[in-house]
Amino acid sequence: MQEEKTNDRRNFLKTIALGSAAVAGVGAGMFSAPGDRSLAIGVPRARAEGTRYKTAFIQWQPHTVPAAWSKGIEEVLGPQQVIDYELLDGQNKVEVQVSLVETLISQGAAVIFLQPIDSVALAPSIAKAKRAGISVITLNIDATEPHASHVEMNHYYGAMDIAKAMGDAMGGKGKVAILNAPPGIIIRDQRTNGFVDGLKKHHPDIQVVADQVADWDRKKAQDVLNTILAANPDLGGVYGVNDSMALGAVDVAKEKGLLGKIAIFGNDGETAALESIEAGELTGTQYTDVYQQGRLAAPAATVLATGGVEAGAFAQQSRLLMPYVIATKANVGSIQPSQRW
Amino acid sequence: MTAAGPPLLRGTGLAKTYGNLVALDDTDFVVNAGEVRALIGSNGAGKSTLIKILTGAVTPTRGSVEISGEIAPLGDPSEMIRRGVACIYQHSNLAPAMSALDNIYLGRQPTRRFGFVDTRRQRLQAEELLAHHGIDIDLDARVGTLSTVKQKEVEILKALALEARVILMDEPTGWLAGADVVRLHNTIRTLKARGVGIVYISHVLDEIFAVCDTVTIMRDGRVVAESAVADIDRPRVVHLMVGEKLARESADAALKQRRPRGTGAVRLSARGLGKSGVFADVSFDLHAGEIFCLTGLIGSRRTELVRTLFGSDRFDTGTLEIDGRAVAPRTPLDGMSLGIGFVPEDRHREGLMLDMNVTENLAMATLERHCRGPLLSRSGMVRAGRRAIDDLSVQPRDGSKMVRLLSGGNQQKVLVGKWLSRGPRILILDEPTVGVDVGAKAEIYAILRREREQGAAILIVSSDLEEVMTVADRIGVMVSGRLVAVHDAGSVGMADIVREIGGGSA
Amino acid sequence: MASFFRISAIVNMRSASAALALFFAATIVFFCVSAPRFATASTVENLMSGFSFVAILAMGQAFPILVRGIDLSIGAIVGLVGMIVFDLSLIGQLPGYLILPLALLAGALAGAVNGVLVVHLRLQPFIATLATLAAYRGLTYAISGRQLVPGLTTTPIRDPWLTGIETYFDVGGWLGLSRLVNMPWVPLSFVIMLAVFVVLQVLLTSTRFGRDIYATGGNHEAARLAGIRVNNVIIAAYALAGLCAAIAALIMVARFTTATEALGAGMELTAIAAAVIGGVSLAGGVGAMFGPALGAFLLGAILIGLTLQGVPQFVQQIITGAILLAAVGYDRLLSVRRQRRLTAASTAAT
Repeated sequence: MQEEKTNDRRNFLKTIALGSAAVAGVGAGMFSAPGDRSLAIGVPRARAEGTRYKTAFIQWQPHTVPAAWSKGIEEVLGPQQVIDYELLDGQNKVEVQVSLVETLISQGAAVIFLQPIDSVALAPSIAKAKRAGISVITLNIDATEPHASHVEMNHYYGAMDIAKAMGDAMGGKGKVAILNAPPGIIIRDQRTNGFVDGLKKHHPDIQVVADQVADWDRKKAQDVLNTILAANPDLGGVYGVNDSMALGAVDVAKEKGLLGKIAIFGNDGETAALESIEAGELTGTQYTDVYQQGRLAAPAATVLATGGVEAGAFAQQSRLLMPYVIATKANVGSIQPSQRW
Repeated sequence: MTAAGPPLLRGTGLAKTYGNLVALDDTDFVVNAGEVRALIGSNGAGKSTLIKILTGAVTPTRGSVEISGEIAPLGDPSEMIRRGVACIYQHSNLAPAMSALDNIYLGRQPTRRFGFVDTRRQRLQAEELLAHHGIDIDLDARVGTLSTVKQKEVEILKALALEARVILMDEPTGWLAGADVVRLHNTIRTLKARGVGIVYISHVLDEIFAVCDTVTIMRDGRVVAESAVADIDRPRVVHLMVGEKLARESADAALKQRRPRGTGAVRLSARGLGKSGVFADVSFDLHAGEIFCLTGLIGSRRTELVRTLFGSDRFDTGTLEIDGRAVAPRTPLDGMSLGIGFVPEDRHREGLMLDMNVTENLAMATLERHCRGPLLSRSGMVRAGRRAIDDLSVQPRDGSKMVRLLSGGNQQKVLVGKWLSRGPRILILDEPTVGVDVGAKAEIYAILRREREQGAAILIVSSDLEEVMTVADRIGVMVSGRLVAVHDAGSVGMADIVREIGGGSA
Repeated sequence: MASFFRISAIVNMRSASAALALFFAATIVFFCVSAPRFATASTVENLMSGFSFVAILAMGQAFPILVRGIDLSIGAIVGLVGMIVFDLSLIGQLPGYLILPLALLAGALAGAVNGVLVVHLRLQPFIATLATLAAYRGLTYAISGRQLVPGLTTTPIRDPWLTGIETYFDVGGWLGLSRLVNMPWVPLSFVIMLAVFVVLQVLLTSTRFGRDIYATGGNHEAARLAGIRVNNVIIAAYALAGLCAAIAALIMVARFTTATEALGAGMELTAIAAAVIGGVSLAGGVGAMFGPALGAFLLGAILIGLTLQGVPQFVQQIITGAILLAAVGYDRLLSVRRQRRLTAASTAAT
């Protein structure tokens, strides 16, 4: 048992290290192709001495994940005296995000961090930003228009691993339910597909009996799961597509005395979820160091803003997948307080 | 009366029932070309139902309407208009934010292709109409900025622009005074000469004898009499309208029971009251035990004046004393605590809670008396309400009846009763009998006289000279925001008052 | 007599819209001075491209308000029409020139349904359109091609008839002004907005239908008794609001090259705010097209200006609310003042 635990820890640290190295490598490749400055379109990058560079992050809507990204970005950009950074709210509306991008363009921002509400809808704005010489870095949700860089939590493969871990916990058979996000969002599709494909691959005997929308919300998840349980009293597993919904499932299990009988997995790895795992309630979650995700995006932004890489100079968009770990009771203790968000 | 032309409009066997309530019972009604037919009756007699059927606002349960010999489809206002039946309603039916021109052609502007309004033709037609009838109106003025008299003229022009062959006029002079009534009557005579049939609905018998050829009298949903005006006299009309008992009381009311001025102490004394741009330099005394009537044209600022006495509005200059003490009421609550009761002109909008019952309305001004601690005492309210209903003879004698369901006269009694229950030392009434039938009028006068005997000081604003001459002890005449004359009622004739109202120059 | 003054409490449209124009100009000047990079061609461009569809929605919203109603469902109609366009183009593979009229028809129909509910079921407009707001949004999810066909979530609409709406014209270049000063390129959506403005304004002021709208809103009973088919007028007013929502949806789809299920959510409130700021009285019968359109651009200018100043967005929302209150308050002040003047004038006259 002891042996296994240390092993887990070692694996965990190894994953993080390897992941970071991979990211660094991709990053290096990305920036090592200097564009010809004279080819730049739009606002010329030549700036007078003492100019400050403006960067901004347009989030989807207020939530723990973008808040942690923003904190990570600020940690890196804050000490860099020539760079201004601000957090803008997309209010869960495509048109607001588009309008904010355009405002940033006319403001002459250097780099825009963007968590697009929709991959297609923001594409024209990203193209416009590129024409104006502004680099765009997307977080978690990619856009169909190629841009400087995309930094993602690794939704698909993470969800596959969740499926594997859950199946292991269930002994390879039984019924599971998915508490899902509202339709029309890429993350939903990527995570759901990853989970379903993961089950098919690792545990083909496990059957998905319910896939219902719980609006990302803990309270809603409680109601939805109660209904599902009424129809499927022998449910063996629940996958919450984010941690809030998984914690809602934990609430129901606690109330009905089903803790330990149902394997409950979340996604993201926010502090509340990790604590729940430590308390022996939530079975597991996909943990990503979201601060780190912000910290990774920030230096890229610095290079793009101040360095010699032009926004239009990318032959191909870089795609950075964040390292993650499936946190369970066995390894959750190794996630340090400073890594918890 | 000359023999009228061919029948323009003929209703046969018209009936309308609402559940068990028979609003109109098997009524025949004819209007001939070039005839002015009065339609009279107490409230609830079925006049409005008949009118609504003729305008298409209501579909009758039975019966048919022929217009110029053709059966008309019923319950369709636009069809009735198309066939030449227009109605001028008692209350304004204009869109206040639109111009007079647009209102005249409301819903039927002449158009060119694609529904574009032909503004040139519209204006030409309207100007022709104005010239033809000698009416002077600024066609571009927004109707909301016109005086009430002018608004009435806009409504008449609206009917004329229709080339209406039958015009129904519901209380057309309800908001008009003196000279404007005469002016309206002249217009009616012009229309009549051109073969238009007119139905004239009014409570003012003088007007009926002045302008109508024939009269149809209704009571309880039926036509009780039809006659040429020349063949009938006033007592007979009243008799038919209200029935045996009320007719006698009405005759009694004509017996003047005036009191000489100054029987009581001065309750209210105004000296040089003014409100910038509204009225100026108004001085008068109001005594205990008298009825003082303020009369004048619409717009002569009588309402505005009395509102400042009560505290609904404020005066700027002058002094007001009540029982010898200088006061300046700033809110209605101030007025009430000074012992003033105020019955506003528009009982529906300012006076009554239409969807509450009679008892609750009666108790509205005296709720503090019915409080036990923080709670209202229902039984106290009901007792007080029953007493008031008996005193005022509100019909039906049922305190739980919703006020909306009462007739206009009974609503007015409830409103007056609400203030009487406070035992006001000063009672101000603004147009207390507009839209009230003859019988209820007599009852309201009797109530006011009784209060006077008990020492109340009563101030009535009225445009109805018949009413003023009947009920007043003293009469004040207002012209353009000034009180131009005060008379003892016994020593002045109606003709003098009319002259003064008109500006006093003649 | 009292009623005489109540009726006179009308709203003088001209002075209200003059005040709005003045306030708009003052806002622009304020931001030009205080907000960095506000006075640039690209900001003007952003304002035109980002708020033309809001202006169209506001003008549409003015019609239900003019007939003393309100339409809370226009945001949902935007979403529904957007999704219909999405489905027809990406699933149905219909050519854009067929989709355009179908989209407009769908919007007008959705609006007309509101009108029918208000007129024939005698529902309060607020309740009726609150219900259709939920229903249309639900329908949008139900027909969403993004869920019916996997992969469409990441497929942009490329039909030139549809995306062509997001085109910019170098008007300054044609006029030769660009040599003197950096001129914004004018987006087609702004031109469409101007066209909608002209058509609706002419409709309101110069046609029978326009008079009927004012009459119905100003005095419903009078209009009915004047033989105006008030029911049809009201249904038409809601249909126009739906039509405008469809036009706005087309502009948005062109701008985003896709439609999301949540497209237009919450926009009804912006449109109502713009209409009210633009002097359309919620009491009905008063208002025109200039005010709502300018009101939308005023809201837009304030949002962009404050963002450029770095003012947090929740403060922007508070300021928007304050402006709405101020607009209603100013309107009230005008009518009180006019009432006084009228009182004084008629005293002098009599």
